[in-house]
Amino acid sequence: MSKLVCLVSGGIDSPVAAYMMICRGVEIVAVHMDNRPFTDDKNLDKALLLIRHLQEVTKNPIRTYVVPHGPNHIAFAKNCNRHLHCLFCRRMMYRVAERIAEREGAVGILTGESMGQVASQTVQNLTVVNQIAKLPIIRPLIGMDKQEIIEIARKIGTYEISILPGLCCTIVPKQPSTAAKLDVVMCEEQKVDIDALVEKSLEGMYVLAPETL
Amino acid sequence: MYSLLKPCKTTAAIEAIPRERFVLDFDLCEEILKKSCTIVANASVLLIVNDRCEVSIHKDGRLILKTDDPILAADQAGRIAGWLEGTPALRKHRGAEGSGRRSRR
Repeated sequence: MSKLVCLVSGGIDSPVAAYMMICRGVEIVAVHMDNRPFTDDKNLDKALLLIRHLQEVTKNPIRTYVVPHGPNHIAFAKNCNRHLHCLFCRRMMYRVAERIAEREGAVGILTGESMGQVASQTVQNLTVVNQIAKLPIIRPLIGMDKQEIIEIARKIGTYEISILPGLCCTIVPKQPSTAAKLDVVMCEEQKVDIDALVEKSLEGMYVLAPETL
Repeated sequence: MYSLLKPCKTTAAIEAIPRERFVLDFDLCEEILKKSCTIVANASVLLIVNDRCEVSIHKDGRLILKTDDPILAADQAGRIAGWLEGTPALRKHRGAEGSGRRSRR
C-alpha cells in the first residue's frame, strides 16, 4: 500500500483530500502544523477530531504528527517581506512534511489545496511552493469548486467538525501576494536560518498513535 | 478608542476596531504593555497575554481578543487602550482627523 503524508489543518478541504485518497487505497500519515499562538487551541482540537473521525469513517488507523509552526511564523514576520508570508509558511510546511515522509517511508505529500481558493493557491504561488519539494505533491481537490468539496465533507461527516469555532491565523498579511516570483521568495528566505527552523520544528513535534486520538 | 466590537467570522474571538486610524510602534508598545502583561511575540502582530485573555494587536490598532465573552472583550480592549493612549507608541495616522474617512473633495 502506498503511503502519503497528509497536511491536515482544521478546515474543510484537507479531510476531504485525505478521505478521497484513503478510498483509493492509500495509507495516510497526518501532519498538523500547529499555528499557535497565532491561532487558538480550538484549531488543534478540530484537526485531531477530524483525523479521529476519518479513522472511524474509513476504518483506517492514522498516525498523527503535531508540529509547532508558531516560531516559524515569528521568524518570517520579523525578517522577511510581509506580502510573501503565506508562501514562506507553505514552503516550510512542505519541508517539514518531507522530512516526516522520509521517516515514515511515505512517497508523497497530500494536501487539500484547490486552485484560486485563497491568495496562496494561485498557479504562480503553487509553482513557487512546489519548487521546495522533492517528493510529488498530490492535490486531489485542485480543480474542484468549493461547493463540491463541501458536499463531500457533508457526506463523510467532516463538515460539521470543520466549521466548529476556531480562530483563523492572525498573522496572515493584509495583502498577500498572489503572483510570487521564485527568485524573490528564495532571496527573502535567506534572511532566516531555514535549516535551523526546520530542525527546531522537528525537535518540537510529537506523534499521536491512532488509538490515542 | 474602540468603537466596534464584533465576533470574528469563525465566532472563536472578538475583534475590536479602532474609532480612528492610527499606527502602533510595537517595540514601544511592548515596553509599555510588558509592565501589565506577558508578551508572547513581537512580530507583525503583537501578541499579549494577561490573566484575562490572549490578544493579538495589529499595527493599525485592531485587536483580536481570544474570548467569546463580549463584556470581557470590551473591558480588555478598554484596558489596552488606557495603557497605550497618549504614549509615543500610538501615532495618529496621517489624515485621521474626525471619523478617519477620506474627504470626497
